[in-house]
Amino acid sequence: MHRRTLLSLSLLLLVVALPVSASQFVQLTFDQVARESTFIVRGSVEQTWTAWDDAHEVIFTYATVRVSRYFGEATGPDTLLVREVGGTVGDYTQEAIGFPMIRRGEDVVLFLSQWENSTDYRIHAFNQGKFLVRSRDGQELLVEDPVKQGDGRLTNPDKGHARENSEWNDAMTIGEFAQMVDAARAGERVDRNDRSRN
Amino acid sequence: MKKQTILALGFVSLFLLASADPAMAYVLLSPRRRWASTPVTVRVYNVGNSTITDGDGGVTAVVGAIRAWGIISSSTTSSAAVRGSAPATIMLNTNGGVCTGNCLAATLTGYYTSQAGDDRIYDADVYTNTSQPLYSSRESGCSGEYDINSIMTHEVGHVIGIGHSNVSGATMYPSISACNTAPRSLASDDIAARDDLY
Repeated sequence: MHRRTLLSLSLLLLVVALPVSASQFVQLTFDQVARESTFIVRGSVEQTWTAWDDAHEVIFTYATVRVSRYFGEATGPDTLLVREVGGTVGDYTQEAIGFPMIRRGEDVVLFLSQWENSTDYRIHAFNQGKFLVRSRDGQELLVEDPVKQGDGRLTNPDKGHARENSEWNDAMTIGEFAQMVDAARAGERVDRNDRSRN
Repeated sequence: MKKQTILALGFVSLFLLASADPAMAYVLLSPRRRWASTPVTVRVYNVGNSTITDGDGGVTAVVGAIRAWGIISSSTTSSAAVRGSAPATIMLNTNGGVCTGNCLAATLTGYYTSQAGDDRIYDADVYTNTSQPLYSSRESGCSGEYDINSIMTHEVGHVIGIGHSNVSGATMYPSISACNTAPRSLASDDIAARDDLY
């Protein structure tokens, strides 16, 4: 077997072994998420609280996000109110299984759009619209939040950290992210798989 | 056999062994939770989904499909879901205000934190995105739609307390592609999860 054949076989195996990540959500391309969002921000989650809706049917988690940077051309206020389905009131917890969570103290990058008939914002495209900012080797990287609703909000509050090497596989720098947002908002088709990996 | 071929085969074997996920197993929702007794009653609201053209908008198909779990007592109901109150109800005709955009279906589950033992599930309702293309087992052919039987069998896994599995081919695997009907049938991993809880 020639060396070239061996190399091709190795590359094929690497491609086949890449994890497929999706959900009961239809996966959108990066540019779709970026274009559909009202704001794309980096910020810190300061205050969080939970409350039933007026009809006492849904528990929402509210979070104030102190914005340190707006990506793309759209800018807004220094603080945004983000509201997500799910939370605990008293000893009753309601969760939307697999939906993103928002936790106090997180350093995040969020794609945001407004709830229908409300001025509150929600994470756009669910888990595709949330990244955690992590430091590694002196560099700030964006990683997907590995913890979704149903994964142990109460028992493991620290699970939000990217803990294993596999969780860094799709990490990107903030510079890369900003370039992708600019391209997407300018109408280009942008997929996360197209960018160079760290 | 040439030396290079033997080396290549050895390399492939080593790669496959190294890439195998050592933690291939089902995941229960965390904190662990279950219904107080079986069978678990799940109702399907009798107003179906307008994109499913099988005569009743997928209602009959879903009533039958979710019995795959073996511990489900399913039937139709003329009462819409009441969040926070049993029985578990599947709503095919509404997104519940939560499953919009790229969401296919969403399970909202509610539980009280118990003092001892498992947390008890008190309610779980499933909502469907009426904007996504869906079809059922009572229709012939598929052209890019998502299989409602598979989707709801997966969601009912959440209803009874099971999270996403990393076993490809399991009903509780988090990914579903258009026209894929395999999740209608439980894999051994799904059955192990069910038997762990009940």
